[in-house]
Amino acid sequence: MIFVIDDDEIMAECIANAAGDAKVFSNAIEAMNEIVKGNIPKLIFLDILLDGPDGFTFLNEMISYDDTAKIPVVIVTSLDLSDKDLSVYGVVKVLSKDDMTPKDIRALVKYYAK
Amino acid sequence: MDVEVDGILVAAHELKAPLAVLRQLALSFEGVGAKDERIRDEMVSVSERAIRQVNDLTKVRRLEDGLFVMEPVAVRPICDDVTRELMHLFKYNKRDLSIKYSNRSQLVIANRELLHGVIYNFLLNAMHYSGAETRSELMVKDKNDRVRVVVRDFGPELPTDVWREMNRGFVEKPTSIAMRPGSSGLGLFIASKFSHYMNAEVGAIRHRDGTSFYVDLMKSKQASLF
Repeated sequence: MIFVIDDDEIMAECIANAAGDAKVFSNAIEAMNEIVKGNIPKLIFLDILLDGPDGFTFLNEMISYDDTAKIPVVIVTSLDLSDKDLSVYGVVKVLSKDDMTPKDIRALVKYYAK
Repeated sequence: MDVEVDGILVAAHELKAPLAVLRQLALSFEGVGAKDERIRDEMVSVSERAIRQVNDLTKVRRLEDGLFVMEPVAVRPICDDVTRELMHLFKYNKRDLSIKYSNRSQLVIANRELLHGVIYNFLLNAMHYSGAETRSELMVKDKNDRVRVVVRDFGPELPTDVWREMNRGFVEKPTSIAMRPGSSGLGLFIASKFSHYMNAEVGAIRHRDGTSFYVDLMKSKQASLF
């Protein structure tokens, strides 16, 4: 299972379609609740600017628990984070909404979630 | 302490989000026929150009923060990147683009991102103003202690007021060049702002059959090491 967390419904759908077996959440709390139920994703596509708690709050939550600390996270954002090292949060890749393609998403799914 | 919200930056982010969605929607049409593929590619290309313009406007707004580092950069690879990015657009619009490099000095003092933006906007401007089935030219040459990047189009003559502003080195605000869509002069405004930040000189030369826009960039002293 792959999680897509983005408050833009259409963008989330586009990412989920490219990713394949994906579940979409419009905010971080919904996604955390799903994890608490025991549904641990293999990979997460995460937007940063979300309604409610933002992506960084979600990442902090994730790395604080042993069952989620190692889940690879792909940031999908329109912010420029190119000069930030986010590996401490388990971030394996930052995709820019400006130029990412379905191929990029499929490649990441193939590498981290198959 | 209250943090002042920059309306332009907020608006830019608001504009970018739907453009990025449109682009993703277009890209999600995979495995379509050749005719639809052409339409899809055009949708992607139009969204990408609009996203770039919004990004450039955001950068203009942030120039005064001084976040753009000036360093020695090789000018030809940047020209190559821009032409690679825009070549399909020229082809799609039945325009030709020729490239001529004659500069001996390879390195200039600039910011890579901003220089890319200047050349991109000059070329987009040239593509827009060149007539159908005509070519535009991108040239890089030495000019005393500077390297000049020139983009020549074969379109209508540049109005004298815009020419004067360009040669003053600073376009104060976007000035419409012609009464048609995409003629707001925004590209030239962005290019002049970026150039000004880089201490580069912009200017325009009017020809009877078009215009040459140029930016003169300081050569890097590091060039002498090669």
